[in-house]
Amino acid sequence: MSFVECRALERTYTRGDNTITPLRALDLEIEQGTFLALMGPSGSGKTTLLNLLAGIDRPSSGELRIDGQEITTLSRAALARWRSVAVGYVFQLYHLVPVLTAYENVELPLLLHDLSRKERHRRTALTLELVGLADRHDHYPRQLSGGQEQRVAIARALVTDPQLILADEPTGDLDAEAAKGIMTLLAALHRDLGKTLVMVTHDPKTATFADLTLHLEKGRLVSPATVGADAPAEGGA
Amino acid sequence: MKLLPFEYAVRNLGRNPLRTALSVGGASLVAFLVLGAAAFVTGMRQSLAVSASPDNVILLGTGSEESIERSQLAFRSAAVVAASLRGIRRRLGVPYVSPEVHVALSVTRTASEQSGRLTVIRGVTSAAFLVHPALEIVQGRVPVQGQNEVLVGERLADKLGLPPEDVAVGRTLHFDGQPWTVVGRFSAPGTVMNAEIWTALTDLQVVTQRDTLSCVILTLDPAQGELADVQAFAAQRLDLELTALAEAEYYAGLDAFYRPVRILIMLTAGLIALGGVLGGLNIAHAAFASRARELGTLQVLGYLRGAILVSLIQESLIGHAAGALVACGLGYALLDGLSVRFSMGAFGLVVDGAVVATALGAGLLLGVVGTLPPAFRLLSAEIPESLRA
Repeated sequence: MSFVECRALERTYTRGDNTITPLRALDLEIEQGTFLALMGPSGSGKTTLLNLLAGIDRPSSGELRIDGQEITTLSRAALARWRSVAVGYVFQLYHLVPVLTAYENVELPLLLHDLSRKERHRRTALTLELVGLADRHDHYPRQLSGGQEQRVAIARALVTDPQLILADEPTGDLDAEAAKGIMTLLAALHRDLGKTLVMVTHDPKTATFADLTLHLEKGRLVSPATVGADAPAEGGA
Repeated sequence: MKLLPFEYAVRNLGRNPLRTALSVGGASLVAFLVLGAAAFVTGMRQSLAVSASPDNVILLGTGSEESIERSQLAFRSAAVVAASLRGIRRRLGVPYVSPEVHVALSVTRTASEQSGRLTVIRGVTSAAFLVHPALEIVQGRVPVQGQNEVLVGERLADKLGLPPEDVAVGRTLHFDGQPWTVVGRFSAPGTVMNAEIWTALTDLQVVTQRDTLSCVILTLDPAQGELADVQAFAAQRLDLELTALAEAEYYAGLDAFYRPVRILIMLTAGLIALGGVLGGLNIAHAAFASRARELGTLQVLGYLRGAILVSLIQESLIGHAAGALVACGLGYALLDGLSVRFSMGAFGLVVDGAVVATALGAGLLLGVVGTLPPAFRLLSAEIPESLRA
């Protein structure tokens, strides 16, 4: 059994009289420990797939099993609990809470778990050290660079030790140097911690860090799996 | 349900100081208005309740139960009652029976002033001081008959809208075309008497050219007399045309008479509070809408919408509680004891625990009611929609 299994996964929206189907009958399996890049033009269904994998959106039909758990049948509250344990999500625009320090932002997901203050502190400090921000505990997001903010966001995604990390254009708002630093960090975390990492990107260079790149177009997979470094070059759409 | 840290709610108040100031100011204004209205209602009710002595009975002319000023009794009524009715309290043989004339006259500082304020003038005998134990002469003496002298209540200056020195002992007041010298000042805290002018019964009868009384007030000896005895006496003595009421009942009637005024005042405060709610809704909507992505992110992390709602309410309550506390502090400092004129006299606004609790409650309710609609609206959106906002 694969770590992620999608069977005939479909997502349809209705806007007035129009029906939009960003994801059509998708079949996909992802093995545990894979670093997968999802590429494709805008509107191809990349982010929709990522949202479904994160359990923040529900498919219109099909099955979605992650680590043996069918998540399409979970209630809203159960899905929230599942997310707090099983998924770490990295956003393009970081989405840190501006009134909390770097330390507090990273600690935030741990407050959903029954951990002692001491244990929370240990995990938070360790994770911030892991992303190279051990000296930025008390800094607020506005006091950090874009690259540092994204590192805090990555630490927040990792701190609960989820098996699945999802990243939506994690370098999309960064300059080239910061983007390279973030991708190097994600690749190292994937390699050292063995997490399953699914990343949406427009940037072929960013996709080269992945083990596998899949292309989506009009809600369907259009290319076979390719190993990261050999991924075809593509213009960002 | 795991809640967001309380610090999150507290720190969110500092995000937009202007918005927070508007929110706190709005809550403060509404709480202050509610406090003012509640202080008015409490003050009025207390003044009417305190004015009644439990053992006192008022004898009025038949058919004029609602108004002492309209009541007319034969002058001999007091003597007949004192001589005929058993169960009246006595001290050294003197019965607690007070014949009184109550008239509302325009009072001015000088003879040349055209218009003054209508004020209750009470013509009394020395027996009045027996049946009104709440009254205490704090300065000067009682008026001497035939000298056009008056005793004034502590709140008279407020009632007349004059500085206290204008009604001080030794000064002259004018009513019914004659000068009256202030020879004493009395205190009857919390009662309607506190804003009255008292003079000798016969002097007032002379100037008002009446030979009747407005009422006779008597105090029963609880061990010997009952209201029913007095009512039976009034029913039997048809020649006197009397109606007997417990003093508490009389003031309860007045209290009921003024109920529409109190309702109107509370209604006005309520309508203003409603305006505050609408303003608060706008402020809260703007504050929350700008954080849609952040609230979506918290849901992605695993926080339930209920936990986020609690945090938003906490945030609103902190701001509104601060505003309401400021209002209560100001209200206590500025309004407590402040005199308000009304047709019966004047009474002091009362800012007591219940009034403060009402104002605080209004401020907090405003916080909750003003938060729920925008919070529900924001949190009802699907997470991807919130993240795209």
